[in-house]
Amino acid sequence: MTTTIVLQQAINGVVLGSLYVLVALGLTLIYGVLVQINFAHADFVTLGAFAAYFFMHLVGAGYIISIGVAFLVGAVLGWLINAAIFTPLRRKGNELLPLIATIGVSVMMQNLMLAWFGPIPYAFETPYSSQVIRFAGIYVSWQNVIIIAVSSVTIALLYAFMKFTFLGKALRAVSQDRETAGLMGINPNQLIMLTFVIASALAGMAGAMLAPVLVLTPFAGTSVIVKAFAIVIIGGFGNVEGTILAGLIVGLIESYTTQYLDPGLIDIVVFALLLVMLAIKPTGLISERREENV
Amino acid sequence: MSDPAISHDLAVPRTALRARRMGFLLAALAIIALPLIFNDTYWRTNLTICAINVLLALGLDFILGYTGQLNLGHSAFYGLGAYVSTLLIVKLGVPFWVAFVAGVAFSGLAGMFLSLFAVRLRGHYLAIASLGFAVIIYQILLNWISLTQGPLGIYGISPPPALIIAGIQLADFRNLTAFFYLVSGFTFLVYLLLNQLVRSPVGETLTAIREDEVSAASLGINGAAWKVFAFGIGAAVGGAAGCFYGSFVGTLVPDAFFVTEAFNILAMVIVGGMGTLIGPVFGAILLTLLPEVLRGIGDLRLVVYGAALTFVVLFMPGGLAQAARIVQEKLRFGGPGS
Repeated sequence: MTTTIVLQQAINGVVLGSLYVLVALGLTLIYGVLVQINFAHADFVTLGAFAAYFFMHLVGAGYIISIGVAFLVGAVLGWLINAAIFTPLRRKGNELLPLIATIGVSVMMQNLMLAWFGPIPYAFETPYSSQVIRFAGIYVSWQNVIIIAVSSVTIALLYAFMKFTFLGKALRAVSQDRETAGLMGINPNQLIMLTFVIASALAGMAGAMLAPVLVLTPFAGTSVIVKAFAIVIIGGFGNVEGTILAGLIVGLIESYTTQYLDPGLIDIVVFALLLVMLAIKPTGLISERREENV
Repeated sequence: MSDPAISHDLAVPRTALRARRMGFLLAALAIIALPLIFNDTYWRTNLTICAINVLLALGLDFILGYTGQLNLGHSAFYGLGAYVSTLLIVKLGVPFWVAFVAGVAFSGLAGMFLSLFAVRLRGHYLAIASLGFAVIIYQILLNWISLTQGPLGIYGISPPPALIIAGIQLADFRNLTAFFYLVSGFTFLVYLLLNQLVRSPVGETLTAIREDEVSAASLGINGAAWKVFAFGIGAAVGGAAGCFYGSFVGTLVPDAFFVTEAFNILAMVIVGGMGTLIGPVFGAILLTLLPEVLRGIGDLRLVVYGAALTFVVLFMPGGLAQAARIVQEKLRFGGPGS
């Protein structure tokens, strides 16, 4: 009995964790190339969720296609925020200004969504939530199967893209040393734009898959992003492998805290872990050698 | 970020000193006059909230603008000050001013504790760590129901006891005007002290650390210790705002200290102009009153709020203080054609 609970919660944790990974990977990719944080990333998750919701309900499309729509909406938002905020502010050369500007964008987006969608939570139901596979006393819904399949394929594709394609290599070159990469004929501006598009598309897609789990309100993304920040730090800022590992750990923490302690304690446990990590090993689980501009 | 205002202050001409004294005098007169001009409950309440927000903005500005530590969790120190002082009063019957000192000290120590973590980290790590700290504090306030009554909140918090000297009652803080004078007087005092501090060698040390910590270290300045000190001061000021808030509003709920509150305070500092003390004062007043004025447009007022923050960063990163300086220069040297 107890082992089934442990296993069941392990599956729930991995499902949740893989979604957190998608959100956190976006943050980490942007941090990798730009050493910047996009605070509005949270609202890309929310808007992705709403895009999928309305695409399903107004157009009557299937859930899987709606995930694709959320992906596209995220991509567009990523392009916009880079063009409107990060590109103009890069010239000013202050590391705090873009973060503060995106906090402003975030407040703006949340309240625009509040004005349009209202404060009442939307019930996001997919046809796959109720179809359950039973296996050795453990229940897995098709929804969870889809989430795990889509996120692992996405993460694998992203990984392959970064490792094997020319663009991916150029992207890593830019994140290691922007100036030298520029000297090698790589246009960093285009790559930064590409990074924002990919990162935000991941956030939008994650939103469409998180929506059935979350309470879908205009502020839904905030609870996710706060954990994504923790994941990014626990995993090591700018580090893809570390982020994946940390995301799964946080997902598991969340499901086991819900089972054995109290759902209200999730954030406390996650952030206590974050503070402990910062105290012991601020470079994250898997640290990357980074040049310090001393 | 280079701020011309700071280098100007190093050698103060006598006229500037006189102008500053005039400024303080005018500010004191304005504080005295305001509740007499706005004599209804609604505006007097807003004025006091303004004064509390100015206090919050000053505390954050000291951390952010003067030592460059990106604190995204100022709501935590605000909340700690409010809850610690109120719980001491309500649960243990501690006198208000003792609880006030305890709340301020607790917030200050919490700030120093967080900063101790953060001195080894740079910019964004501190931002996330402080945000995480604010989330933890909020969740504790929400979930430690036996102590804080969680989302139900604490009700019926009484205002500070009347000020009685030699048997004569000087001020009764159940009166809105008296409470406004109390908070704004305290805020004014904090402003004067911070103003002295940033113009003293301590302020120059902090500026040196903010601009280039490595060079400052080569001059024998212990950057970490000064950052912890500054964070402690700023957090303690935030705690004081919390102590006033609880006794002013009479109710405490954790939602008042959610991280969005930290962003509001941040917006006040940025819109006003971080790294100056006068800027955040006006930033706080503007952004406290703006939503009241914009109440007619409902939810959209926060859209305006967010837009203001974004556009200020994009086009006038020095905030109101920078705008005022530009206007001043124009006046001094004359615009084109004058």
